[in-house]
Amino acid sequence: MKIPGLYILMACILVVFAPDNASALSADEVMDRANLAYYYGGKDGVARVRMTIKDRRGRVRMREMTMLRYDVEDGGRQRFYVYFHKPEDLEGMIYMVWKNTDRDDDRWLYVPAIDLVKRVSQRDKRSSFAGSHFTYEDVSGRLPRDDVHELVGEEMVDGRQTYVIKNIPKDRDLVEFSFYITWIDKDNFLPIKGEYYDRAGKLYRVITAETIETIQGIPTITKARARDVEGGETVVEFRDVRYDVGIKEDIFSERYLRRPPRRWIRR
Amino acid sequence: MRRYVVLSVVLWISLWTSTVYGGIHGFVEGAYGMKLGDKRGVKNAYNLSELRFQLKGLYFPNSLEALSGEVSLKGEALLDGYSEEVSFYFRELNLAITPFDSMDVKIGRQILTWGTGDLLFINDLFPKDYVSFFVGRDDEYLKLPSDALRVWFFTDHVNLDMVLIPFFEPDESIRGTRLSFYDGLRGMIRGREARRVFVEPKRSLENAELALRVYRTIGSYELALYFFNGFYKEPRGILDPVREGFFYPRLNVYGFSARGPLLGGIGNMEMGFYDSRNDPTGRNGYVENPSIKYLIGYTRSITGDFTMGVQYMVDEILRYDSYRGSLGTMPARDEFRHLFTVRLVHLFLNQTLRMELFTFYSPSDRDVYLRPAINYRIMDSLRITIGANIFSGRFDHTEFGQLEGNNNIYTRLRYSF
Repeated sequence: MKIPGLYILMACILVVFAPDNASALSADEVMDRANLAYYYGGKDGVARVRMTIKDRRGRVRMREMTMLRYDVEDGGRQRFYVYFHKPEDLEGMIYMVWKNTDRDDDRWLYVPAIDLVKRVSQRDKRSSFAGSHFTYEDVSGRLPRDDVHELVGEEMVDGRQTYVIKNIPKDRDLVEFSFYITWIDKDNFLPIKGEYYDRAGKLYRVITAETIETIQGIPTITKARARDVEGGETVVEFRDVRYDVGIKEDIFSERYLRRPPRRWIRR
Repeated sequence: MRRYVVLSVVLWISLWTSTVYGGIHGFVEGAYGMKLGDKRGVKNAYNLSELRFQLKGLYFPNSLEALSGEVSLKGEALLDGYSEEVSFYFRELNLAITPFDSMDVKIGRQILTWGTGDLLFINDLFPKDYVSFFVGRDDEYLKLPSDALRVWFFTDHVNLDMVLIPFFEPDESIRGTRLSFYDGLRGMIRGREARRVFVEPKRSLENAELALRVYRTIGSYELALYFFNGFYKEPRGILDPVREGFFYPRLNVYGFSARGPLLGGIGNMEMGFYDSRNDPTGRNGYVENPSIKYLIGYTRSITGDFTMGVQYMVDEILRYDSYRGSLGTMPARDEFRHLFTVRLVHLFLNQTLRMELFTFYSPSDRDVYLRPAINYRIMDSLRITIGANIFSGRFDHTEFGQLEGNNNIYTRLRYSF
């Protein structure tokens, strides 16, 4: 309890008294740019996603999927299409999201064995995605305007200059954390570390970017880790990442749930 | 049957020697269900004891690349210890193509599903297997495949989804061998001694079935209109009461549905007018009366890992006075049948443990059907399911009350590859 409080206080003092160098950016601007850098690379994108989930008892489970993304507008509405390859018995299951800015997201699930197109009520965006230590919101992005941002300092992390931002949710009832701190790379605005604190102010979850590659000129996190402080973690790897492949908006419709676009989805 | 075996072997070999994406997948599953009810079945210690083997594959023929051709195969072998039979069949064997940007076609054996109900079907008149559903097979076996031609047309405003089923395919109906049921003609619960004969419509052009759905999405809301021209999927017509002969009366259905976000969850509504073509006036006591079915439903997640869904359905028999007058001594159904369902799903342990309870309850029929199930993923490839089917009712003749003698507890172990 004491250490973070002191640390934040010191960080605040640092910010207040630090000479204002090139970074005339406010915390809001940093988070907006981070949101764009992390979730809106290119107009569209495709990646093969592999999740290795380790539970508290050390048991390992794998999830593998192809993810398609389309940005209706930069920083705004998006479409996601997640086709599961593994585990084997879920092969062909599809999870589709219309990320909205003016209303709750729309979500669908397609169950191929019975040709069923189902609407999913996933009001709780903070719940686990596919049983991993990542949340739905980690996958599709948390709207910057859902939090109040505070620049608490600048730090070196893994040899990178970062902005340290404290994010406090505007509506505490919708989330399980009381605040989280993100370290945003000053060069490419990618979030390279995130720490989540619970209602008691205790750290319970850490997300770290492990590998960053530049793909088609776009800095991309290709490996990240979400670690539960009490044990258990998920490593996610993005392979065959491609941007601007020409995915159209109409892919994200019932038509393509029943008939997956094989041009991008292969086993 | 032999023809199918030969055909499947040839197909599998030809596909194995071609480029099959991601290879062949499938599962082996053992299932056993202990019967807790009456002694009216052919076997009475259990009503499920089987080993199932499934292979599935996707194949993209080079010759159809321009049309995005995709062949889907799903074949199964079932060693059924109850019927003491071994069977081989395809659940899927179809070709999908996109001849134009605005059109998709799927031809061959396929599973067909539409509509908004959760285990309640109004405008989905594709064949179902309630025997599998009631004895504890996986939910997916509620759906039977159809040999069909399905064509979609997509426009900016509405989409058309059209299914042509050339040869009538009925539901798998309860016959008394595995599940006992209420026999309205005899006024009693019957089992293995029943010798019902179900006469299917002749295989001819005028007996082909047509199902249409016109749908569009407005904002977050999905709207659909439905039309069906074919036959009741259950033998709702009596041909010969003495010899227990039944037939499938002609049926047209006109319906609509809507689905979308509501109060932080998903709401849906659906209705359908069942136009019983062989008895529009309701005077024929041997044929099902016309009816209207109404459904509303609501699903929402309580927490991230806990979801609740509720539904309310009303089945209204039209021309009810004629129906009452033409019944004779058979017990009458209510003019309005009210049915509630509740689905509770809770996930635990990184979503590897799933506990579920689906309840059907009819206050008008005064009967209930409980489907509890626990599913645990031991490893990514290995899943165990333990569940039960519990029926209870005040009367013998109601939908779930008649099944009271068929309560069971089952377990399934599935290895997927």
